[in-house]
Amino acid sequence: MKKSHKNKFKTPEGYFDNFNERLIDKIIKEESIIPKHDGFEVPDDYFETFNKKIATKFEPKIIQLKPYRNYYYIAASIIAILVFTFLFNQNKESKVGFDDLAVTELDAYFDSNVLGLSDYEIADYIPVENIYLTDITYKNIEENTILDYLDENVDELDELNIMYDEFE
Amino acid sequence: MIVEETLVNELKNKETQAKAFEVLVNTYKERLYWHIRRIVLNHNDADDVLQNTFVKVYRNIESFKGDSKLYSWIYRIATNESLTFLKQKSRKLGVTNSELQEELIEGLQADVYFEGEEIQLKLQQALATLPEKQKLVFNMKYFQEMKYEEISEVLETSVGGLKASYHLAVKKIETYLRGD
Repeated sequence: MKKSHKNKFKTPEGYFDNFNERLIDKIIKEESIIPKHDGFEVPDDYFETFNKKIATKFEPKIIQLKPYRNYYYIAASIIAILVFTFLFNQNKESKVGFDDLAVTELDAYFDSNVLGLSDYEIADYIPVENIYLTDITYKNIEENTILDYLDENVDELDELNIMYDEFE
Repeated sequence: MIVEETLVNELKNKETQAKAFEVLVNTYKERLYWHIRRIVLNHNDADDVLQNTFVKVYRNIESFKGDSKLYSWIYRIATNESLTFLKQKSRKLGVTNSELQEELIEGLQADVYFEGEEIQLKLQQALATLPEKQKLVFNMKYFQEMKYEEISEVLETSVGGLKASYHLAVKKIETYLRGD
Protein backbone atom coordinates (compact mmCIF):
# COMPACT_ATOMS: atom_id res chain seq x y z
CA MET A 1 0.00 0.00 0.00
CA LYS A 2 1.34 3.39 -0.96
CA LYS A 3 2.01 5.72 1.95
CA SER A 4 0.67 9.24 1.82
CA HIS A 5 3.41 11.87 1.83
CA LYS A 6 1.02 14.61 2.75
CA ASN A 7 2.22 16.58 5.79
CA LYS A 8 -0.10 15.94 8.70
CA PHE A 9 1.43 18.57 11.01
CA LYS A 10 -0.34 21.85 11.44
CA THR A 11 0.79 25.29 12.60
CA PRO A 12 -1.24 28.03 14.29
CA GLU A 13 -2.99 30.39 11.89
CA GLY A 14 -0.70 33.19 10.72
CA TYR A 15 2.38 31.49 12.21
CA PHE A 16 4.62 32.03 9.17
CA ASP A 17 3.20 35.50 8.48
CA ASN A 18 4.59 36.80 11.76
CA PHE A 19 7.69 34.62 11.93
CA ASN A 20 10.14 37.25 10.67
CA GLU A 21 8.77 39.88 13.01
CA ARG A 22 9.01 37.59 16.01
CA LEU A 23 12.52 36.52 15.07
CA ILE A 24 13.72 40.12 14.81
CA ASP A 25 12.06 40.97 18.15
CA LYS A 26 13.79 38.00 19.77
CA ILE A 27 17.18 39.00 18.40
CA ILE A 28 16.69 42.59 19.56
CA LYS A 29 15.78 41.39 23.06
CA GLU A 30 18.59 38.84 23.28
CA GLU A 31 21.25 41.29 22.20
CA SER A 32 19.95 44.32 24.03
CA ILE A 33 21.22 45.57 27.36
CA ILE A 34 17.64 46.56 28.22
CA PRO A 35 16.47 44.35 31.12
CA LYS A 36 13.94 41.64 30.24
CA HIS A 37 11.85 42.38 33.33
CA ASP A 38 10.90 45.87 34.42
CA GLY A 39 10.54 45.07 38.13
CA PHE A 40 6.82 45.68 38.57
CA GLU A 41 4.95 43.31 40.88
CA VAL A 42 1.36 43.02 42.14
CA PRO A 43 -0.03 41.92 45.52
CA ASP A 44 -0.40 38.12 45.66
CA ASP A 45 -4.17 37.82 45.32
CA TYR A 46 -4.76 41.01 43.37
CA PHE A 47 -6.19 39.49 40.18
CA GLU A 48 -8.20 36.88 42.12
CA THR A 49 -9.97 39.56 44.17
CA PHE A 50 -10.30 42.13 41.41
CA ASN A 51 -13.74 40.94 40.23
CA LYS A 52 -15.23 41.49 43.69
CA LYS A 53 -13.75 44.94 43.80
CA ILE A 54 -15.14 45.94 40.42
CA ALA A 55 -18.58 44.58 41.40
CA THR A 56 -18.78 47.11 44.25
CA LYS A 57 -18.42 49.89 41.67
CA PHE A 58 -21.87 49.01 40.35
CA GLU A 59 -23.66 48.89 43.68
CA PRO A 60 -26.19 51.73 43.98
CA LYS A 61 -25.00 54.59 46.13
CA ILE A 62 -27.28 56.75 48.27
CA ILE A 63 -26.11 60.31 48.18
CA GLN A 64 -27.80 62.73 50.50
CA LEU A 65 -26.81 66.16 49.35
CA LYS A 66 -29.49 67.60 51.68
CA PRO A 67 -29.50 65.24 54.65
CA TYR A 68 -32.60 65.17 56.84
CA ARG A 69 -30.31 65.87 59.79
CA ASN A 70 -30.71 69.58 58.94
CA TYR A 71 -34.43 69.35 59.55
CA TYR A 72 -33.72 67.80 62.94
CA TYR A 73 -31.56 70.83 63.78
CA ILE A 74 -34.37 73.19 62.77
CA ALA A 75 -36.92 71.23 64.81
CA ALA A 76 -34.57 71.18 67.82
CA SER A 77 -34.01 74.95 67.47
CA ILE A 78 -37.76 75.66 67.43
CA ILE A 79 -38.31 73.49 70.52
CA ALA A 80 -35.40 75.23 72.29
CA ILE A 81 -36.85 78.67 71.49
CA LEU A 82 -40.28 77.62 72.81
CA VAL A 83 -38.75 76.21 76.03
CA PHE A 84 -36.64 79.36 76.64
CA THR A 85 -39.63 81.60 75.92
CA PHE A 86 -41.70 79.62 78.43
CA LEU A 87 -38.96 79.75 81.08
CA PHE A 88 -38.31 83.45 80.41
CA ASN A 89 -42.00 84.26 80.90
CA GLN A 90 -42.07 82.20 84.10
CA ASN A 91 -39.17 84.16 85.66
CA LYS A 92 -40.16 87.53 84.28
CA GLU A 93 -39.54 90.39 86.67
CA SER A 94 -40.89 93.89 86.51
CA LYS A 95 -37.34 95.36 86.31
CA VAL A 96 -36.55 96.71 82.85
CA GLY A 97 -33.08 95.88 81.49
CA PHE A 98 -31.00 96.13 78.29
CA ASP A 99 -32.54 92.91 77.00
CA ASP A 100 -35.96 94.50 76.96
CA LEU A 101 -34.96 96.91 74.21
CA ALA A 102 -36.40 95.95 70.85
CA VAL A 103 -33.97 95.42 67.98
CA THR A 104 -35.68 98.22 66.06
CA GLU A 105 -34.94 100.61 68.93
CA LEU A 106 -31.27 99.61 68.90
CA ASP A 107 -31.12 100.10 65.12
CA ALA A 108 -32.75 103.52 65.47
CA TYR A 109 -30.18 104.49 68.13
CA PHE A 110 -27.18 103.53 65.96
CA ASP A 111 -28.72 105.26 62.96
CA SER A 112 -29.16 108.54 64.79
CA ASN A 113 -25.94 108.53 66.82
CA VAL A 114 -22.37 108.59 65.63
CA LEU A 115 -20.69 105.46 66.91
CA GLY A 116 -17.21 106.95 66.90
CA LEU A 117 -15.53 103.64 65.95
CA SER A 118 -13.81 102.90 62.63
CA ASP A 119 -14.37 99.63 60.67
CA TYR A 120 -10.98 98.33 61.89
CA GLU A 121 -11.87 99.07 65.50
CA ILE A 122 -15.19 97.23 65.09
CA ALA A 123 -13.33 94.33 63.45
CA ASP A 124 -11.12 94.10 66.54
CA TYR A 125 -14.15 93.27 68.63
CA ILE A 126 -15.48 90.58 66.28
CA PRO A 127 -13.66 87.23 66.45
CA VAL A 128 -13.46 86.50 62.71
CA GLU A 129 -10.76 83.81 63.07
CA ASN A 130 -13.29 81.10 63.73
CA ILE A 131 -15.80 82.11 61.08
CA TYR A 132 -15.69 80.07 57.89
CA LEU A 133 -17.48 80.48 54.59
CA THR A 134 -19.35 77.27 55.28
CA ASP A 135 -20.87 78.86 58.43
CA ILE A 136 -23.00 81.08 56.25
CA THR A 137 -23.58 78.68 53.36
CA TYR A 138 -26.16 75.92 53.42
CA LYS A 139 -24.03 72.97 54.50
CA ASN A 140 -20.42 71.88 54.45
CA ILE A 141 -20.45 69.25 51.73
CA GLU A 142 -17.68 66.65 51.92
CA GLU A 143 -15.32 66.64 48.93
CA ASN A 144 -15.85 62.89 48.54
CA THR A 145 -19.61 63.42 48.37
CA ILE A 146 -19.14 65.93 45.57
CA LEU A 147 -16.78 63.59 43.69
CA ASP A 148 -19.17 60.64 44.13
CA TYR A 149 -22.06 62.77 42.94
CA LEU A 150 -20.13 63.90 39.84
CA ASP A 151 -18.97 60.35 39.21
CA GLU A 152 -22.53 59.08 39.31
CA ASN A 153 -24.20 61.89 37.42
CA VAL A 154 -21.68 63.28 34.97
CA ASP A 155 -20.73 60.88 32.21
CA GLU A 156 -18.30 63.05 30.31
CA LEU A 157 -15.78 65.57 31.56
CA ASP A 158 -16.94 67.77 28.68
CA GLU A 159 -20.16 68.40 30.58
CA LEU A 160 -18.15 70.22 33.23
CA ASN A 161 -16.83 72.62 30.59
CA ILE A 162 -13.30 72.07 31.76
CA MET A 163 -10.83 73.70 29.43
CA TYR A 164 -8.72 70.86 28.13
CA ASP A 165 -5.95 73.33 27.41
CA GLU A 166 -5.42 73.45 31.14
CA PHE A 167 -4.36 69.82 31.07
CA GLU A 168 -1.86 70.24 28.32
CA MET B 1 -11.04 31.96 23.20
CA ILE B 2 -13.96 34.36 23.29
CA VAL B 3 -15.84 35.32 20.16
CA GLU B 4 -15.84 39.08 20.24
CA GLU B 5 -19.06 39.64 18.34
CA THR B 6 -21.02 37.32 20.62
CA LEU B 7 -19.52 38.94 23.71
CA VAL B 8 -20.39 42.43 22.50
CA ASN B 9 -23.99 41.39 21.81
CA GLU B 10 -24.25 39.80 25.24
CA LEU B 11 -22.82 42.94 26.84
CA LYS B 12 -25.50 45.03 25.16
CA ASN B 13 -28.30 42.70 26.25
CA LYS B 14 -29.58 43.49 29.78
CA GLU B 15 -30.29 39.83 30.52
CA THR B 16 -26.83 38.54 29.65
CA GLN B 17 -24.87 41.69 30.53
CA ALA B 18 -23.68 40.71 34.02
CA LYS B 19 -22.30 37.34 32.96
CA ALA B 20 -20.72 38.77 29.80
CA PHE B 21 -19.10 41.55 31.79
CA GLU B 22 -17.49 39.00 34.08
CA VAL B 23 -16.08 37.20 31.04
CA LEU B 24 -14.78 40.51 29.72
CA VAL B 25 -13.10 41.38 33.04
CA ASN B 26 -11.55 37.92 33.32
CA THR B 27 -10.24 38.10 29.76
CA TYR B 28 -8.67 41.53 29.90
CA LYS B 29 -7.90 42.41 33.53
CA GLU B 30 -4.32 41.15 33.60
CA ARG B 31 -3.06 42.50 30.31
CA LEU B 32 -4.85 45.83 30.82
CA TYR B 33 -3.39 46.07 34.31
CA TRP B 34 0.16 45.73 32.99
CA HIS B 35 -0.53 48.19 30.20
CA ILE B 36 -1.85 50.76 32.70
CA ARG B 37 0.82 50.03 35.32
CA ARG B 38 3.59 50.79 32.84
CA ILE B 39 2.05 54.19 32.23
CA VAL B 40 1.16 55.25 35.80
CA LEU B 41 3.95 53.20 37.49
CA ASN B 42 2.32 52.99 40.93
CA HIS B 43 0.21 49.90 41.83
CA ASN B 44 -2.59 51.75 43.65
CA ASP B 45 -2.96 54.23 40.80
CA ALA B 46 -2.99 51.35 38.29
CA ASP B 47 -5.71 49.65 40.31
CA ASP B 48 -7.86 52.82 40.29
CA VAL B 49 -7.39 53.38 36.58
CA LEU B 50 -8.12 49.73 35.77
CA GLN B 51 -11.41 49.89 37.67
CA ASN B 52 -12.34 53.16 35.98
CA THR B 53 -11.52 51.63 32.62
CA PHE B 54 -13.93 48.73 33.15
CA VAL B 55 -16.63 51.05 34.48
CA LYS B 56 -16.25 53.19 31.37
CA VAL B 57 -16.37 50.14 29.11
CA TYR B 58 -19.55 48.96 30.85
CA ARG B 59 -21.24 52.35 30.61
CA ASN B 60 -20.26 52.99 27.02
CA ILE B 61 -20.66 49.55 25.47
CA GLU B 62 -23.79 50.77 23.69
CA SER B 63 -21.68 53.29 21.79
CA PHE B 64 -19.26 50.56 20.62
CA LYS B 65 -20.17 50.13 16.96
CA GLY B 66 -17.71 47.40 16.11
CA ASP B 67 -15.69 49.56 13.70
CA SER B 68 -12.58 48.38 15.52
CA LYS B 69 -11.91 45.25 17.53
CA LEU B 70 -13.22 45.15 21.09
CA TYR B 71 -9.77 44.68 22.64
CA SER B 72 -8.34 47.67 20.78
CA TRP B 73 -11.32 49.80 21.86
CA ILE B 74 -10.77 48.75 25.49
CA TYR B 75 -7.02 49.34 25.23
CA ARG B 76 -7.70 52.83 23.86
CA ILE B 77 -9.96 53.58 26.82
CA ALA B 78 -7.30 52.26 29.23
CA THR B 79 -4.60 54.36 27.55
CA ASN B 80 -6.71 57.53 27.63
CA GLU B 81 -7.75 56.92 31.23
CA SER B 82 -4.10 56.45 32.26
CA LEU B 83 -2.86 59.57 30.48
CA THR B 84 -5.78 61.65 31.78
CA PHE B 85 -5.07 60.33 35.28
CA LEU B 86 -1.45 61.50 35.05
CA LYS B 87 -2.47 64.91 33.74
CA GLN B 88 -4.95 65.36 36.56
CA LYS B 89 -2.37 64.21 39.10
CA SER B 90 0.27 66.67 37.87
CA ARG B 91 -2.36 69.43 37.88
CA LYS B 92 -3.40 68.58 41.45
CA LEU B 93 0.21 68.59 42.63
CA GLY B 94 0.98 71.74 40.65
CA VAL B 95 3.91 70.16 38.81
CA THR B 96 4.74 69.61 35.15
CA ASN B 97 4.41 66.21 33.52
CA SER B 98 8.18 65.64 33.56
CA GLU B 99 8.41 66.68 37.23
CA LEU B 100 5.63 64.19 38.00
CA GLN B 101 7.53 61.45 36.14
CA GLU B 102 10.60 62.17 38.28
CA GLU B 103 8.49 61.97 41.45
CA LEU B 104 6.90 58.69 40.33
CA ILE B 105 10.28 57.13 39.60
CA GLU B 106 11.63 58.30 42.97
CA GLY B 107 8.52 56.76 44.55
CA LEU B 108 9.35 53.39 42.99
CA GLN B 109 12.31 52.96 45.32
CA ALA B 110 9.96 52.85 48.29
CA ASP B 111 7.24 50.90 46.46
CA VAL B 112 6.76 47.41 47.93
CA TYR B 113 5.36 46.28 44.57
CA PHE B 114 8.48 47.26 42.68
CA GLU B 115 11.26 44.69 42.89
CA GLY B 116 13.53 46.35 40.40
CA GLU B 117 17.17 47.08 40.93
CA GLU B 118 19.28 49.97 39.72
CA ILE B 119 19.02 48.92 36.07
CA GLN B 120 15.19 48.85 36.23
CA LEU B 121 15.11 52.30 37.82
CA LYS B 122 17.45 53.55 35.13
CA LEU B 123 15.15 51.99 32.52
CA GLN B 124 12.23 54.01 33.90
CA GLN B 125 14.36 57.16 33.79
CA ALA B 126 15.24 56.39 30.19
CA LEU B 127 11.57 55.82 29.33
CA ALA B 128 10.67 59.16 30.93
CA THR B 129 12.86 60.92 28.36
CA LEU B 130 10.90 59.45 25.43
CA PRO B 131 7.93 61.11 23.70
CA GLU B 132 4.59 59.69 24.93
CA LYS B 133 3.89 57.61 21.85
CA GLN B 134 7.39 56.09 21.67
CA LYS B 135 7.10 55.10 25.31
CA LEU B 136 3.73 53.43 24.71
CA VAL B 137 4.99 51.58 21.64
CA PHE B 138 8.10 50.39 23.45
CA ASN B 139 6.18 49.03 26.45
CA MET B 140 3.54 47.37 24.30
CA LYS B 141 6.11 45.72 22.09
CA TYR B 142 9.02 44.94 24.41
CA PHE B 143 7.21 43.97 27.61
CA GLN B 144 3.68 43.09 26.51
CA GLU B 145 4.93 41.45 23.28
CA MET B 146 2.00 42.72 21.24
CA LYS B 147 2.05 42.47 17.47
CA TYR B 148 2.53 45.63 15.43
CA GLU B 149 -0.93 45.11 13.90
CA GLU B 150 -2.49 45.07 17.36
CA ILE B 151 -0.56 48.16 18.52
CA SER B 152 -1.50 49.85 15.27
CA GLU B 153 -5.20 49.33 16.00
CA VAL B 154 -4.89 50.62 19.55
CA LEU B 155 -2.79 53.70 18.79
CA GLU B 156 -4.30 54.26 15.35
CA THR B 157 -0.87 54.62 13.77
CA SER B 158 0.54 52.86 10.71
CA VAL B 159 2.58 49.68 11.23
CA GLY B 160 5.54 51.29 9.44
CA GLY B 161 5.46 54.28 11.76
CA LEU B 162 5.27 51.99 14.79
CA LYS B 163 8.28 49.94 13.68
CA ALA B 164 10.32 53.11 13.26
CA SER B 165 9.16 54.39 16.67
CA TYR B 166 10.02 51.10 18.37
CA HIS B 167 13.53 50.81 16.94
CA LEU B 168 14.21 54.45 17.72
CA ALA B 169 13.00 53.93 21.30
CA VAL B 170 15.24 50.85 21.72
CA LYS B 171 18.26 52.81 20.49
CA LYS B 172 17.55 55.78 22.76
CA ILE B 173 17.03 53.58 25.83
CA GLU B 174 20.22 51.61 25.14
CA THR B 175 22.17 54.83 24.75
CA TYR B 176 20.75 56.12 28.03
CA LEU B 177 21.53 52.87 29.87
CA ARG B 178 25.10 52.84 28.59
CA GLY B 179 25.44 56.36 29.91
CA ASP B 180 26.70 57.68 26.58
